[in-house]
Amino acid sequence: MLVVATAALLGASLVTPVATQAAIPSITIWVDSPRLPGAQLYAQIMKGKVNVNVQLHAQGDLVAKVQLFNTVKKGWPDVVFGPPNDVAFLKNPLVNDALQLDALQSPAIWKAFGNGNNWCKLNGHYYCVKNDLAQTVLWYNKTLMTQFGYKVPTTMAEFAAIGADVAKNHPGYSLGSLGDQAGYSSFLEPSQCPLNVAKSDTVVVINSKDSHCTRVATLLQPLIDSGVIDVRSPFDAGYIKDVGQAGKWLMNIGPSWWGQFVLRPASSYNVPAGQVATANMPTWPGESKAYSGEYGGGIYTVSPHSKYPKEALAFAMFMVGDARNLVSVKNPDGSHGAPTYPAYGPGNKIWVQAVAKDAYYAQSIVPALDTQAQLIWGGTKPVRYDANGAWGASWDTEIKQSKDLQKAIDAYATYTSNAATQVGYAVVKK
Amino acid sequence: MSHGRRQKPKNLLMILMLSPYLLLLFFFGVLPLIMAIFNVPTKSPSNPNGGWHVIKIVLHDFRLVPAAWHVLGFMALFVPLMIFFVVAMSLMLDTDTAPWKKWVRLAYIVPACISGSVAVLLWYVLLEPTLSPFKGVMHFFGITQASQIWKTSNLTYILVFMAFLSLAGQWILIQFGSLQSISGEILEAARVDGCTQFQLATKIKLPLIRKYVIYMGVLVFAGGLQIFVEPQLLNSSVYHGIAQQWSFDQLSYSLAFDNGNFGEASALSLMLLVPSLIGALLVIFKTDMFEDVNFKSPKKLAKEAKKREAAAA
Repeated sequence: MLVVATAALLGASLVTPVATQAAIPSITIWVDSPRLPGAQLYAQIMKGKVNVNVQLHAQGDLVAKVQLFNTVKKGWPDVVFGPPNDVAFLKNPLVNDALQLDALQSPAIWKAFGNGNNWCKLNGHYYCVKNDLAQTVLWYNKTLMTQFGYKVPTTMAEFAAIGADVAKNHPGYSLGSLGDQAGYSSFLEPSQCPLNVAKSDTVVVINSKDSHCTRVATLLQPLIDSGVIDVRSPFDAGYIKDVGQAGKWLMNIGPSWWGQFVLRPASSYNVPAGQVATANMPTWPGESKAYSGEYGGGIYTVSPHSKYPKEALAFAMFMVGDARNLVSVKNPDGSHGAPTYPAYGPGNKIWVQAVAKDAYYAQSIVPALDTQAQLIWGGTKPVRYDANGAWGASWDTEIKQSKDLQKAIDAYATYTSNAATQVGYAVVKK
Repeated sequence: MSHGRRQKPKNLLMILMLSPYLLLLFFFGVLPLIMAIFNVPTKSPSNPNGGWHVIKIVLHDFRLVPAAWHVLGFMALFVPLMIFFVVAMSLMLDTDTAPWKKWVRLAYIVPACISGSVAVLLWYVLLEPTLSPFKGVMHFFGITQASQIWKTSNLTYILVFMAFLSLAGQWILIQFGSLQSISGEILEAARVDGCTQFQLATKIKLPLIRKYVIYMGVLVFAGGLQIFVEPQLLNSSVYHGIAQQWSFDQLSYSLAFDNGNFGEASALSLMLLVPSLIGALLVIFKTDMFEDVNFKSPKKLAKEAKKREAAAA
């Protein structure tokens, strides 16, 4: 009781009154720290035209606070950056804090997203703007692959064959890990395993026994048994030390931000310059398309309580489409531009030019990223329960304990089925 | 109380002395309680039409029973460990032979400076086999992976460890303080009668500080039931998902702020109030914890008089 009530009191008192000026529209925006330089730049640019009040908030703060705003009927920020799943929760009529955005800008702009904004399209309407795509591609160490005489795998069968050979001839080298959300975005999701397939606001498909799930377990189990694929989290301190820092990283299927944030930093895997490359996703047997999973990728939502929804949306479009944010803005760490792969087509074209020239990579990582950006599996949908937290709560425990992949998939399905039922979904098998 | 004339100023004084507490009690105890009660039947995603059957929904939540086991397991270890260890240590500290008593006392208070949230980071590093300064010891026992230590099934022990080490020190000092209040004459008399140090501790001192020990038990119990910060921080920033809705308070928090379900959160919070309230009432009315030696209510005096009469007759 104390937690809820004191938080309610605190929340109420922390609400910042929106500055009111008759002539100039004013908007309040919430961003996390990677988005802060861009937002501050926007406020500067718009001076005199729109009063932009930038506030720094952790991702996901809105979901925690919006209930309190709803209770006191004030305080909603106009536009907010948050984790992708938020839109399902915010769109719920009982919560009602995600505005339908279709009519606020021209259809041509929506069209320019390509498939980039599919996540935000619910029941045929747009409820958010996708900031960045976290499509998975095959990241590999070109130097080691050449040295070992391996061809970059184009199918999962080839991927598994390399795994078997590594176990025999190059023990200790790794083809990736399964902990956290990595197992899902790298393997289960590209294989179209139905674990969070929301068919509507109240029906979700969760079926760990589907053949698209079991084939993942069958293919990968031998690689887990031989240790080529690790059951730890890719961010586990032990895994980083044993694999990344020890120069034993051969390849793994990872999201668009993998190179910059996981492979490159000296404190992380610390792969030397000139070795990292990307390739398209390997296809699963019998599939014509090589789907990607998605690991992250934030969204902007606009509040229906906003007095200036057009101005609010314009901020989101600046972040995903304007060169001043995408490539020029100076970040506190000295780098320039937006940190992750923009979801908006035209903005994306500007961003990739800079990345394509990055001398850290053995070759341009952009072609594979571009191909896979259009191939993110559309089955995974935003849901009103913590589908991401559930990986740690069920999957991680099971896979570390039994090292049995099918059991881990089942454990996740059981957990999310319960979580989904709890918030009012009907769970179906198909 | 017998002099009607003096009653008024005395009452005024009493109200004055109580008012800061009453204000806090009202704004942070009673008012939130009333708000919580009104919140229970409100509409929410799992209870779209509203109504009191939300209590039933909470009781059927798949996370409630695991949370109950976690918290009960935690308390079953934490509460007795605290009481036994703290009492033993403070009694030992009170044997007046130790010349460096002052420094020992200081040593006890130091770990208490590492509060819950900091303790999480500290213990993460200490118990992570790659980072720990004791990794040599861990590797000797075959512990080389974080997953051998940091898993949900071990969390009860880790959290007991964390909470115990950050709280025991200050309680030892408090109980040491209560031992200081024992009259020197009593202790002297016991010594003259040939009491050993051990007998002095167990037969004389311990019964005299019994109330303070019960008091500590109540506070430690209430604190344990409300465990929140440590598992929440572990879950959100160290190992995502390791303590997902691990405790009651976390579940309540998650219902409110992850699911936006204030009705269920309030219902669970009110349920949590029940054991604490029963405990408090038991302590107040069924023990002599709050009995004032110098003051007995007229009712009680009459009751005792009756008892004596009955015994005499």
